[in-house]
Amino acid sequence: MPEQSYIRGVTRRQFLGRASIGIGSAALATLIQERARGSAGLDGVPHFAPKARRVIWLTQAGAPSQLDLFDHKPGLKEQFDKDLPESVRNGQRLTGMTAGQNRFPIAPSQFKFEQHGQSGIWLSEILPHMARTADRLCVVRSLFTEAINHDPAMTLLQTGHQIAGRPALGAWLSYGLGSENDNLPAFVVLISRPSGPTNAQPLHERMWGAGFLPSRFQGVRFSPGKDPVLFLSNPPGVSTARRRAMLDDVAALNRLKFEDYQDPEIQARIDQYEMAFRMQAAVPELADLSLEPSTVFDRYGPESQKPGSYAANCILARRLAERGVRFIQLYHRGWDQHGDLPKGIRSQCYDVDQPTVALIEELQERGLLDDTLVVWGGEFGRTVYSQGVLTADNYGRDHHPRCFTMWMAGAGVKPGTVYGETDDFSYNIVKDPVHIHDLNATVLHLLGIDHTRLTYRHQGRDYRLTDVHGEVVRALLA
Amino acid sequence: MLRLIVTSSTYRQSSRVTPALRQRDPENRMLARGPRFRLQAEFLRDQALAASGLLVPRLGGPSVRPYHPPGLYEQVVAGSSAATYVTGSGEDLRRRSLYTYWKRSVPNPAMLIFDVPFRETCSVRRSRTNTPLQSLNLLNDPTYVEAARFLAERMLREGGETPATRLAHGFRLLLARTPRTDEIGILTAAYERAAREFREDPTAAAALLAVGTVPADAKLDPGQLAAFTTVASILLNLDETVTKE
Repeated sequence: MPEQSYIRGVTRRQFLGRASIGIGSAALATLIQERARGSAGLDGVPHFAPKARRVIWLTQAGAPSQLDLFDHKPGLKEQFDKDLPESVRNGQRLTGMTAGQNRFPIAPSQFKFEQHGQSGIWLSEILPHMARTADRLCVVRSLFTEAINHDPAMTLLQTGHQIAGRPALGAWLSYGLGSENDNLPAFVVLISRPSGPTNAQPLHERMWGAGFLPSRFQGVRFSPGKDPVLFLSNPPGVSTARRRAMLDDVAALNRLKFEDYQDPEIQARIDQYEMAFRMQAAVPELADLSLEPSTVFDRYGPESQKPGSYAANCILARRLAERGVRFIQLYHRGWDQHGDLPKGIRSQCYDVDQPTVALIEELQERGLLDDTLVVWGGEFGRTVYSQGVLTADNYGRDHHPRCFTMWMAGAGVKPGTVYGETDDFSYNIVKDPVHIHDLNATVLHLLGIDHTRLTYRHQGRDYRLTDVHGEVVRALLA
Repeated sequence: MLRLIVTSSTYRQSSRVTPALRQRDPENRMLARGPRFRLQAEFLRDQALAASGLLVPRLGGPSVRPYHPPGLYEQVVAGSSAATYVTGSGEDLRRRSLYTYWKRSVPNPAMLIFDVPFRETCSVRRSRTNTPLQSLNLLNDPTYVEAARFLAERMLREGGETPATRLAHGFRLLLARTPRTDEIGILTAAYERAAREFREDPTAAAALLAVGTVPADAKLDPGQLAAFTTVASILLNLDETVTKE
């Protein structure tokens, strides 16, 4: 059906664009026949052979503590409750949450660290499953950002700019690379709810927005429940057969209009109604986890049976990857441990550790890890000094933009690697700093995109995800 | 100035494209034809409310909360008072879209689908996309299902005695023109099939008519009203309906 309608006379720009007005270039049906499934991206993109065809970004919103999960600092044990040397902080401006503290007492992590796998990557004891997959991880301990609060930091991570209004990474990808699935959006967002009581920072729809790109590139949020996609279900009393008959009538009338007016936008609308109808079948099938065998739920852990949990969303992410969705972004909130960190972070790790690793292992078994890039991390790090009262078994940590840890796995990244180094306090980077722009440039590179050449003209200049910054971190590439 | 523009013969020319015009001015850069583009989000909803007779034209007052899918706030909002969207009632559901409550972290989803900017930064030009999510919204959002039912009631009450005159009335209410013979033919066939199916399945008819908050007119035959509601929904989803010509 879609092939038919494309070939029937949609112009090439219409086919690529399906959107803007007043278009009317010549029809190039030959090209359409090549790419009848999915929608094409830009000409010449990817710029070179990609390692990754899709990305699953496991966004840990709220900023997980690198000190308690990845960045092992054994020397801190002896520094317990000592003041952080001024030479380390070096006059840095702090957030309003700790700027007023009289002291900045050092809080060593309460958790034990061990080396794992052939690669000997250090991981905290609260990530027992991740330990199993250490040799697949490419850990970057030297990320940094300029933003010190959640919203601008998350906005920078997603859009390359602290101030809202630019396109999210996923929107850039669907703009540049197009979609591989005709029945599903190219950029899907899944938001999970922490199982424990936590301080969950708000998210904004614009974090997966298209900014100044045409809004069809914006991320589509899938929700747990009856309508994974908004307005997906027919109203009560309208069966699939009734809907089909009705859409045929709509299409018949629209075709009359098209014959009369010759506006390619009319043909595009006919196609969109067809895609809507296909989504009504494809999305419930996709989101129906009851089709998964019980062994899958065992792997992803007890939370995976709860719709909207991180674990359930990881299963959904795998199903989306299997269906060729380009950019799958999970958000797991609740990492903002200003106080009671040991308890809070345990609960968060309970939520994410097992399902994250189950996802990687399943991708590997199904041959998808070869061309799927998995990214895990938050928007900044946390301070070595305690926010609030430090006791033998309790502490909190404030926001820390100067260093934090993320990891990648899968397509095109060097497995079993640790990159970058921080000082003895995990406060400043001493080796191989990686800015958010560098990370984004590297992710685009893995997808076959030169980050300096994926641009969009807006308000008189060419914009790109990395603005005027970003270097591909070659050392991370396999 | 605006008056000069909108009353000019250039602005008022037809947006129909002839092959000759298309060849000479394919992108309409020389304004060889009139503008033709999809209505903005607010206008789309207001048009459906107005044509069906649901619109409350009153001016001013606080923001209102029209229909909205459940659960959207809870996923992303942090704690406290504004964590749930509480749908309004009565006239609040039928005010002009201008009055719709705006939450920056979760803007009205139906409007976002139709390219409303996030209002975080100034926007001098809205994009005009054409997506399947828009189709789903116009087909399934209770806003439009209820509006279709009210449009159907108007067809039955005001459109004369035959299906053809009633369908033509609904068509005119939305599109401000009389349907052509081939168009009325398609609509009549659609109506007859729907009427037959709803006669055989009164439960489905009742379920469709129950969508929304204002009850259906009990004096009207439910099967017939459901069939006209179906045709009204067809009309609300036409390209011509959602397009300014």
